[in-house]
Amino acid sequence: MFKKFSSEEVSAQNQVKASVQRKIRQSIAEEYPGLEPVIDDLLPKKSPLIVAKCQNHLNVVLVNNVPLFFNIRDGPYMPTLRLLHQYPNVMKKLQVDRGAIKFVLAGANIMCPGLTSPGGALDDDVAEETPVAIMAEGKQHALAIGFTKMSAKDIRAINKGIGVDNMHYLNDGLWKTERLD
Amino acid sequence: MAEKPQPVQVLYCGVCGLPAEYCEFGPDFEKCKPWLIQNAPDVYPDLLKEANAKETDKVSDQLQSTSISAGGGSSTSKPEEVKRLPGGKIKKKDKQEVIIEKVVRNKRKCITTVKGLELFGVKLSDASKKLGKKFATGASVVKGPTEKEQIDVQGDISYDIVEFITDTWHDVPEAAIFFIEDGKKVPAV
Repeated sequence: MFKKFSSEEVSAQNQVKASVQRKIRQSIAEEYPGLEPVIDDLLPKKSPLIVAKCQNHLNVVLVNNVPLFFNIRDGPYMPTLRLLHQYPNVMKKLQVDRGAIKFVLAGANIMCPGLTSPGGALDDDVAEETPVAIMAEGKQHALAIGFTKMSAKDIRAINKGIGVDNMHYLNDGLWKTERLD
Repeated sequence: MAEKPQPVQVLYCGVCGLPAEYCEFGPDFEKCKPWLIQNAPDVYPDLLKEANAKETDKVSDQLQSTSISAGGGSSTSKPEEVKRLPGGKIKKKDKQEVIIEKVVRNKRKCITTVKGLELFGVKLSDASKKLGKKFATGASVVKGPTEKEQIDVQGDISYDIVEFITDTWHDVPEAAIFFIEDGKKVPAV
């Protein structure tokens, strides 16, 4: 999704009003209870929150010009990888095997066999249509952020086709956009 | 409130920007290697071994023949300095030149487009303002055909503009300014 992304994709950028800001905070806190203690640090109440609207109904939440979260339409907010690396335990994690890393880093969606093979790992609590962190075999840090297409049980049972949509991965456009202004 | 989880400090590669452990899948692992050996030797233990092996090779080489200059040996391990975009694509060295083109709009009205000023570190919005002020016309920054930004100035100012550019931005040499006439690039001087 962010394969090509740069400041040029941003069609409008505006500081959101307090009520919207509150809503965003709330939905982020709901989605990621693990972030709750630090949410005041991430999204300070004082500093203005900016939402950049981009093509394809994509919104990026910026604080001090640093992209922190993104969402599509009214979907769940997902952290950027840089943020996830700092707080790795806030998302459910799925692990792909080593062979898949290359493809994921090229933007491929995550196929079921890569998750079910010996090198992969699945958290059985993961339902469908939830944001997850994609980890990799033998690596400490997440390499992508995905949005599950099937629940973990289905991934195991069907073991075919796309299991997780790749939303944001290392070295994609959003990763390279450290600051957006 | 529960204790705050501290943000994890992730070691990002200084060369490609990825977390060090993903360098091997990055755009150019070879380029990252020297950095990794220096800054993150424990991530790739094999690499260090490899490097050490090389080092000992080199030492033994030198022992064998002291006449081989050390400079020659070390220069091979030095990373080539190529400007890279964060994506790892080799940045094409854009030729630094300013291209001025006159487009006739309808018979007696025309627009002068100026391309490439940004390559000299000129802020286009400032430049358009200055141009507009100087020539008392409308001047705006527009997206050109290839997603590049250019300045459109109303009116035919192609002759005065060269002097103006060289006067206002001293970084721009006169030799780097070109006109486009009948589809051909003609140097301004």
